[in-house]
Amino acid sequence: MQNKGKILSFFIRLKFSALMAFDGITSNLLRTSLTVLGISIGVAAVVSLMGIGEGARRSIVSQFESLGENVIVIKSNAENVIFEPEEAEEMPDRVEGVEYATPVVYTEDTPVRWRRDESEMDIVGVNQHYPEIKDHPVILGNFFTSLHVKQRSPVAVLGYNVAGNLLSGRSPVGQIIKIDGINYRIVGVLSEKGKGQGDGIDDKIVIPYTSAMKILDTKNIPEIWAKSISAEDSELAIVQLGRIYKRKIGLGYNITPNNEQEAPGGDIDEDVSMEAPGGEEVIVEEPEPAGEPDSQDPESENKDENVFKKGEEPLTITSLNNLVEEADQANRIMTVLLGGIAAVSLLVGGIGIMNIMLVAVTERTGEIGVRRAMGAKKGDLLIQFMLEAVYVSIIGCIVGILLGSWAVSIVSNYGLPAVVSFDSVKIASFVAIASGLLFGVYPAINASNLPPVEALKRQ
Amino acid sequence: MEIIKMENIAKLYKLGQVQVEALKNVSLSINDKEFVSIMGPSGSGKSTLLNVIGCLDRATGGTYELAGNFVDKLSDSKMSEIRNMFIGFVFQNFHLLPRMNAKKNVEIPLIYRGINTKRRNELAENALEMVGLKDRMHHLPSQMSGGQQQRVAIARAIVGNPSIILADEPTGALDTKTGELIMELFIKLNRKSMTIVQVTHAEEIAEYGSRIIRLMDGEIVSDEINGGKINV
Repeated sequence: MQNKGKILSFFIRLKFSALMAFDGITSNLLRTSLTVLGISIGVAAVVSLMGIGEGARRSIVSQFESLGENVIVIKSNAENVIFEPEEAEEMPDRVEGVEYATPVVYTEDTPVRWRRDESEMDIVGVNQHYPEIKDHPVILGNFFTSLHVKQRSPVAVLGYNVAGNLLSGRSPVGQIIKIDGINYRIVGVLSEKGKGQGDGIDDKIVIPYTSAMKILDTKNIPEIWAKSISAEDSELAIVQLGRIYKRKIGLGYNITPNNEQEAPGGDIDEDVSMEAPGGEEVIVEEPEPAGEPDSQDPESENKDENVFKKGEEPLTITSLNNLVEEADQANRIMTVLLGGIAAVSLLVGGIGIMNIMLVAVTERTGEIGVRRAMGAKKGDLLIQFMLEAVYVSIIGCIVGILLGSWAVSIVSNYGLPAVVSFDSVKIASFVAIASGLLFGVYPAINASNLPPVEALKRQ
Repeated sequence: MEIIKMENIAKLYKLGQVQVEALKNVSLSINDKEFVSIMGPSGSGKSTLLNVIGCLDRATGGTYELAGNFVDKLSDSKMSEIRNMFIGFVFQNFHLLPRMNAKKNVEIPLIYRGINTKRRNELAENALEMVGLKDRMHHLPSQMSGGQQQRVAIARAIVGNPSIILADEPTGALDTKTGELIMELFIKLNRKSMTIVQVTHAEEIAEYGSRIIRLMDGEIVSDEINGGKINV
């Protein structure tokens, strides 16, 4: 009974303190709104800057993701490193974790003739597994088959935009298109990836790699795409591929790719040698004695960097998963950095709160004295003035989030991929309210520590 | 019955290097239902004495017992509770909260006592009725005259049924006529068995008390029963 009464009494007092705090902020609306403005500009800066950062991050991640999940790109960077198509075709059987693989051949600016229109287009040569590897189905017709590939058939699957431009929207499947002087039958149309997604595949033509090799008059392929079913499989495959190609090239370490070279699939490459467990298997070709490779790892990384600087990187094995992760990570850091810079302005807003609260305490000294005389305890006043600071920061926070969202919507109207992220709202609110509390504490303690007699003397 | 019992109360202030003895060896006891006027020129220590009685300030020496509580050993928080339970203050400048209406102002001591809204309403209205301002309870202080404001302040002082009302120059900011009305109100409350201690420097106001204590340089120089106006 006594406890219940105490709790009730506590709430009655708390409610009154809250009411008095509200009275405090409404007693000088101009001053309050200026303080609120200080906080809301800070919050808006955090929300909008982090929004821009987050938008950039998402757009980059989605670009990478559109290249296909769990895809490994094996790419030659040196003229003496070449692949044979069979390596790709046999990869699913020979390498654990690889489900599909295709040789990849690119042609650039190949003359294409559609009826009477001549143009130049980029052609991609792959095998029949392309749709599975790139998670990129056809929307019209069919993809070409293994038979087409084997027989070097003149069949073509069009990128979404290419198809749309031909017959102003009608299906071009079954029509003939002339590529490099040879008639190709259009067998299918790929679904839309979107602008800037999937390495611009919407504007390209896909044909059997055998046919593309003929156009380029080559027996070798520059690139292999391998697909795993899961991220774990992908890692497993990368380790094995690293081992295989290490052996094949006969260089101890330089499978390890560099991190800045441009690849069609992206730009950050998987460090194979670092990930290979049990380096013993590789040592047959390694100049170092057995047992050394593990301890050599950090050093070999340094060597790799040197190799890259000399431009001698012969081969890169790139996991798109890791690309996405790393790009994501880099952008996240960028976003947090932006947010951090903006949060400084929140701090300035917090100082504004403190300033105004100190004035308020001085102004209401008489009132504090009266209330102390009526039985208010230190805690009552502490809570009141803390609440007052928190009110200001909460209002500033809400206004700031609205302002920031508005800024983000303006920015995204201008084509920047900005979004209001929950993270930014969380961080901004947290910092705003924390700074309200932090900067409200001192004035509130000042208020509560005023001796009643002193407070009553001042008017 | 003794409500206030002070023995050898001293109050030392430090003003820089100089020590000021605001109260020296003041021993005083005030009984239930008394109406005491404390008089003295400025600097005589009368306000300091009132502050010590009101638990707004602590004595630096001596013992003080208020309604059975030894005040000088209590914590700040307990002092607040004592003020809230046993004392009603009336100030020279009324000290009403400007943005609250009369009734809300009167309710404040009850809020700090943790009394619920319904009961607060009741008590506040009763108190305002006692001072004759029930019809003005929704007015803001700025909409009332000085005398009315002081009556609201008195209602606020009595609303929690304290043991004692402490008034510091209650008529100091009012004209003579209004001041007399306030004094009449005090007499009325006193007759309803409320103990009142007021500090004043005006003889004619002090005369309303049933007992007049005179201070000089922090010491009581006279303490006598006033046969005067109280029985008029």
